[in-house]
Amino acid sequence: MRRKDMLGLRDATAEEITEILDTAARFRSVSERRIKKVPTLRGRTVVTLFFEDSTRTRMSFDLAAKRLSADTLGFSASSSSVKKGETLMDTARNIDAMRPDAIIIRHSCAGAPHMLARAFPWTVLNAGDGINEHPSQGLLDMLTMRDHLGDLAGRTVAIVGDVYHSRVARSNIFGLTKLGARVVLAGPGTMCRREMESLGVEVRHQIEDVLPDADVVMMLRIQRERLAPGMMSTSREYARFYGLDLDKLQRARPEVLVMHPGPINRGVELSPEVADGERSVIMEQVTNGVAVRMALLFLLLGGETQPGGGDDAAA
Amino acid sequence: MLLLRGGRVVCPATGTDAVLDLRIDQGRVAELGIGLALDGAELIDCTGLAVLPGLVDLVADLADPGSTWREDLASGSRAAAMGGFTTVLASPATDPVVDSGAIAAGLVEAAAGAPGARVLRAGALTVGLLGQELAEMGSMLAAGCAALSDGGITGTDAAVLRNALAYARPFGAPVLLRPGQRALESRGCMHEGEISMQIGLRGIPAAAEEIGLATAIALVRATGARVHLSHVTTARSVAMLASARAEGLPITASVPARHLLLTDTWVRDSGYDPAGRLLPPLRPEQDRQALVQALRDGVIDAVCSDHMPWTRVEKELEFEQAAPGALGLETALAATLTALEGDLVRLAQVLAVAPGAVLGQRAELAPGAVADVVVLDPRAEGVVAAPRASKGCNEPLVGRTLRGAVVATVVAGRLAWRA
Repeated sequence: MRRKDMLGLRDATAEEITEILDTAARFRSVSERRIKKVPTLRGRTVVTLFFEDSTRTRMSFDLAAKRLSADTLGFSASSSSVKKGETLMDTARNIDAMRPDAIIIRHSCAGAPHMLARAFPWTVLNAGDGINEHPSQGLLDMLTMRDHLGDLAGRTVAIVGDVYHSRVARSNIFGLTKLGARVVLAGPGTMCRREMESLGVEVRHQIEDVLPDADVVMMLRIQRERLAPGMMSTSREYARFYGLDLDKLQRARPEVLVMHPGPINRGVELSPEVADGERSVIMEQVTNGVAVRMALLFLLLGGETQPGGGDDAAA
Repeated sequence: MLLLRGGRVVCPATGTDAVLDLRIDQGRVAELGIGLALDGAELIDCTGLAVLPGLVDLVADLADPGSTWREDLASGSRAAAMGGFTTVLASPATDPVVDSGAIAAGLVEAAAGAPGARVLRAGALTVGLLGQELAEMGSMLAAGCAALSDGGITGTDAAVLRNALAYARPFGAPVLLRPGQRALESRGCMHEGEISMQIGLRGIPAAAEEIGLATAIALVRATGARVHLSHVTTARSVAMLASARAEGLPITASVPARHLLLTDTWVRDSGYDPAGRLLPPLRPEQDRQALVQALRDGVIDAVCSDHMPWTRVEKELEFEQAAPGALGLETALAATLTALEGDLVRLAQVLAVAPGAVLGQRAELAPGAVADVVVLDPRAEGVVAAPRASKGCNEPLVGRTLRGAVVATVVAGRLAWRA
């Protein structure tokens, strides 16, 4: 893969996506060993720069970098000079002066990673920008689907919920359509808008309409912090029309995969019986997250040894 | 004395379009003719160039007083002159807001010392531009304000706006309004459509402008006030405007020059460059085409610079957090000429005659007229570089190849700028 940054799947090619997924599949074994470390990125510095709260994405990136032997450094907006009024560019200039190799950024504004990627020589990985993209999440979702379904071309993925405010959905839409999958959306009219058809997906709204022919049902988290007033009614009404419970799941194929990017609002978008049920692959998504992020760091930073075999430290 | 020799003189007001010499004396056009003698005048060789009435701008934020790090009377006036403008109407959205006779009097007096283009002042429609209490419209006009304006700030209560228009009408001054709807504008940062959906930015629906336009049209019908609608930028707005004018309502309209060239794809293709964060936002291609057509047809009367200078302090931020607005004074002429594919007669109409008429000025090149003149090279093609006179840094047209370069700007007989 010849690119400096991973800002989103909108401008990634199907070949690049496949390369990342193939590489991630090979990296999975590292996390299953007793000594979970390969020397691939020894001496490289990876900075996580999170302007929004995150636990799992940050941990996942941190672990991925550490398992590749990179030195990692965390920067949280809450514990930094951002609170004193420093701009993003000034923060980045300061980090730049310490000569990092890659920066993993999460920010509430779309385009913030693009701004850094344009201005600085180091690799930028987008770990979520506003309502735009969350490419590593999209990739780990696709890896999980591929584990169960093989080739995704011709498969149907239903994405249900607040698609409009979901960077997870956007990355999945771009990635899945590039791999030839069919994407169908359901959700309230405010969160699942007609204009989205221009992204190459079908918009249906009612969950009952998308379940029967879905190979995968991806339930999205309701992100109350991103909702303007008047975008949804009560949580009770949401659960009734757009939540997935065992009753609604019966309309789906028996082998359907249920996914969720987490954290789950139990009882709103997913009932506990479904979240923890046999169709749920939610924990596999988390496991795959580390592998996908290792693959991204490896491919972008150009690690010198191949994943999987041949590394002394891993033996 | 100045002698502009051998240029193509284009003056829609008098119907002149011929290669002529033009003599300027004592601030006025003295004569037009062939082979005029120099008689000690300063010579400007205009061979191969075009000589047009000086451009008039209706929508510029000169940031003075209050935020003179962004722009001031001198830099804004110079930027205007470099762009071929001889008159600029400065927005009342300053600090303090121009909303009383006393403030207006001081600013009108200060504006007389502007080094480049002539700077006129618009007075605010409401106190503090807050959309609640009526400002001292009569006193501001008596102090020399040339127009009344909402300062581009939408959100005035329709009942207050109705009263403001009814109150303004007997004073006879034009009222400038930007059609918009605050609630719909407040959460978005670009045009809502396919591109905003693609790149994950919250959108401002075209409905925001169209609702504001419908409100303004209905209130003009109710009050009879003479209104200039700045910032008309959608195809549907154009249709609404055409029907309002067919009805005979006293409405004129303008479009920002950059909206004739740039579309919402600019935001995507620039990688979220905050220079493209505008209000109203850049529109899709079909709107852009409708705007150019409306300008040719005369449904949209005028082009404005919509000059809104910001420095890196306000613009070197995340797209959503950057202040909306872009520069325009230095590039409006070339942007418009490019959009009009070199039509100089139309250019003079939309950038001089029509905006001049809104302010009650007659932009013409005839003996006795005030010598406001722009000399330009209509064939020059150049890549837009960083602004030269403005203090702002936010010009989304940088890097675009545009047609037309200003060679000289004459303001009331004074050579205000020469390339």
